[in-house]
Parts: sequence; structure tokens; C-alpha cells
Amino acid sequence: MKRAVWLAAALGFAASSLAAQGVMVAPHAVYIDHRVRSGSVLLYNPGTEPVEVTISTLFGYPTTDSTGAIMLRTVDAPDSTLPSALAWIQAFPRRLTVAPLERQTVRLLARPPVGLADGEYWVRLVIAAKAGQIPIVGVSDTTAIQVGLTLEVRTIIGVAYRKGPVTTGVVLSQLRAQLLGDTLVTWSRLERQGNAAFVGTVRGTVVDSTGATRATFASPLGVYFTMQPRIASIVGKLPRGRYWLRYEVVAEREDLDPAVVLPAPVARDSVRLVVP
Amino acid sequence: MKLLAWLVIGAPLLGASAPPILGAQGKPLTVTGVRGVTFGAVFPGVPRVISRTDPANSGQFDIKGPNRSRVLLSFVLPLTMTGPAGAQLPLSFGSSDAGYSQSQAIGSQIGFDPKQPFTAALANNGRGSVFVGGTANPTANQRAGAYTATITLTVTVLP
Repeated sequence: MKRAVWLAAALGFAASSLAAQGVMVAPHAVYIDHRVRSGSVLLYNPGTEPVEVTISTLFGYPTTDSTGAIMLRTVDAPDSTLPSALAWIQAFPRRLTVAPLERQTVRLLARPPVGLADGEYWVRLVIAAKAGQIPIVGVSDTTAIQVGLTLEVRTIIGVAYRKGPVTTGVVLSQLRAQLLGDTLVTWSRLERQGNAAFVGTVRGTVVDSTGATRATFASPLGVYFTMQPRIASIVGKLPRGRYWLRYEVVAEREDLDPAVVLPAPVARDSVRLVVP
Repeated sequence: MKLLAWLVIGAPLLGASAPPILGAQGKPLTVTGVRGVTFGAVFPGVPRVISRTDPANSGQFDIKGPNRSRVLLSFVLPLTMTGPAGAQLPLSFGSSDAGYSQSQAIGSQIGFDPKQPFTAALANNGRGSVFVGGTANPTANQRAGAYTATITLTVTVLP
């Protein structure tokens, strides 16, 4: 009975009655010390349905494209020139089901190669969470179209393995800035120093000709090699005049334990802004 | 509920076997699929468009993480939905079919192409929402039956 009966079918990715689904992942960044060679990630299911979780790993690091947008560059088979821990950090278990309001621990076990040089090595943990099949609703006519959807969310967090002395820093250059309406857009070149990723924050302060602060912004940032990030911040409409943007990159992060944030000298620069 | 979640997460972390210099290392991150895209009634050969600003039918994912942190959003989008005996129902997504809102309000989104990665900054309270729409393109002789597909949102914490 291929006729218009099915036209009234409920066609959709999911029923509107779909319960929220996902898992809480903690922490959002893992640091493993060579002396311990293990770490853990906690998964918690705040929902009302069991969630199937699959754990995998990949190698990748943030960088920027030609427009300054941040992207994750992944490398399927990283060679020895890259500080990859992909081959020797494993997660257990790789498949698990987290019951509603329950938690489970994923263990990370490192088996670094003998003679591993001092430094920081990276891998990323992919936590894929899928709830059960969404019930198809609204259509009982077998000639109609019935549609259901399985939603999946993947959370990718960074894992850093540190062996021996690790240092970092950043060199700031090519700072540019432009006011576009109420938005301040900045571009800069950031080149990492040392043998570990620079994890910190970009801070900007707009001051007027009297030295008074007119706007501020802050943006967390990680520099793994070299990047040229474009950072846009809403600073409000500034009156006509000349301003200075004071721009600094500091090794501070409010979302991470200070113990895992490597110290580094502050990188500073400034650039003039004109509102015609 | 929120307090309970923090207690559940925090207790084992405090007792974790990490060395003293590497204790509880970061805050939790939660990505939740809130609502799927609902196309409603469709007709053979007639595309059905759902806008990302449609409060009832657009898809929604909520994110809760560290305050003001940056995350990279990327979708794995199905090209088709699979139905009876392997029948396919085509889907398409336009260059502004996804949107991000720091305030989690559907009316204050920044649109982006769901086929390209998008960098988003979580709000001062660590929250944000992703909305998605799309177009179902049933053929003129689309077979009746149940069709399913999976839409995946990947949230990458930066760094």
C-alpha cells in the first residue's frame, strides 16, 4: 500500500521525548608522570538510561589553519619526529556500560620504550558514548515511515606523559589587532620553546590615551608547536580615539591544577588601535 | 544533583594513585544529547527542512566544562537514513545548519557549517549549547518503513 498513507508519518532523527544522554568525563586533561606510568579517567552517567562507552586513542595536537582558526591535526601513524605516546599508552577497559547514576573508572597504562628521552609525550583519549536505541513513536501503520535515531557524543581529552625535566615557553611575534564593531580580533604568532607543550592563557587589555583600562579579555590556549591563532572577543563599542592593546601570554590556567601547569616567562607585546 | 555529581567524581580522584605533583588535574566535562532533529510529516519527493533555530524540532547538545575553556566541535553526519531492507532516505546539511550558543539560548546562536570543525568558547559558567538542523530528501518512490541514522558530535578539549 504505497500511497499517501505514509505521508503523515513521523519522520525525524529522534522523538522529542528523547531523554538526555551523555557521560561526564573527569578530568578533562590527564597528566601522567613517568615514575607512576599510569593514570585514570572517571566516567559518570548522570542520565536515566545506560550508556555504552567505547574508549580509543589517537595522536593529534591543536594548530591553526590559514585563517587562524584552531583545529586538531591528527596523525594516524606518527613517526619518531613527533612526541607521540600513541603506541605505548593503553586504556582499559575499551568497552563498558555505565549504568544510570553510576560511575566507572578507565585506567591508563603506559609502557614507554626503553631509553625514552626526557620530555613530554602526547596522546588523546576518545570517549564515545552512545545511549540505547531511541524508541520509534507516533506511527502504528506498517505502511508508514517510522524513524528513530541513536545519538552519539564523543569527548576527546588530552593525555600528556612527562619524563624527566620538562620545560616550556612561548615566543610571541606578529601581533595584529582590529576592532570590528564591538568585537576585538587579534592575530599573533606563537612558537613553543622547550620540550613540553605550553599550556596557558592569552590576556588582552585595551587602554585609552590616559592609560585607563577600557576592555579586557582572556582566552585559554595551548601551544604544541607553532600556531597563529585568531582570537575574537566582544569588548563593547569603543568611542573614537586611539588605544593600545596590551597582549600577554601567561602560563596560568584556572581550569587546571597549578601543579601540572609548567612555569614559563610571560610573553608580552602591544599594538595600537584606532577607532575612526 | 549537581552536588552529588561532584561528590561522586571528586572522591575517587582525591584517592587516586597519582604522584603528589599530579593530583586532581582538571574539571569534569559533560556533553549531553538533549534533543534529536525531528522532521515531522514528510511527503514523497518533497524535501523537509528543519532550521537550527526551530525550538521544537532542531537537535540540541549541551556542554558543561571548565569556565571559558575552548572546545573544538565537529560532527559526523549521516548521508542517509537506513530503512527496511536496506532502503536509504537521503539527508543533507547546509553550510549554516549548525549553531553555537554560549548562553544556551536557541535565539542567540552563531551559525557554522556542520561539515567543518568549529572552535567554541564555553561561557563564564562553563556552559554552551550546540544546535543542528538539516534536510530530509525523500525520493518520489520512498519505501515505507522505519528509518534510522546516527548523528555524532565530537567535542575536543583544547588543549
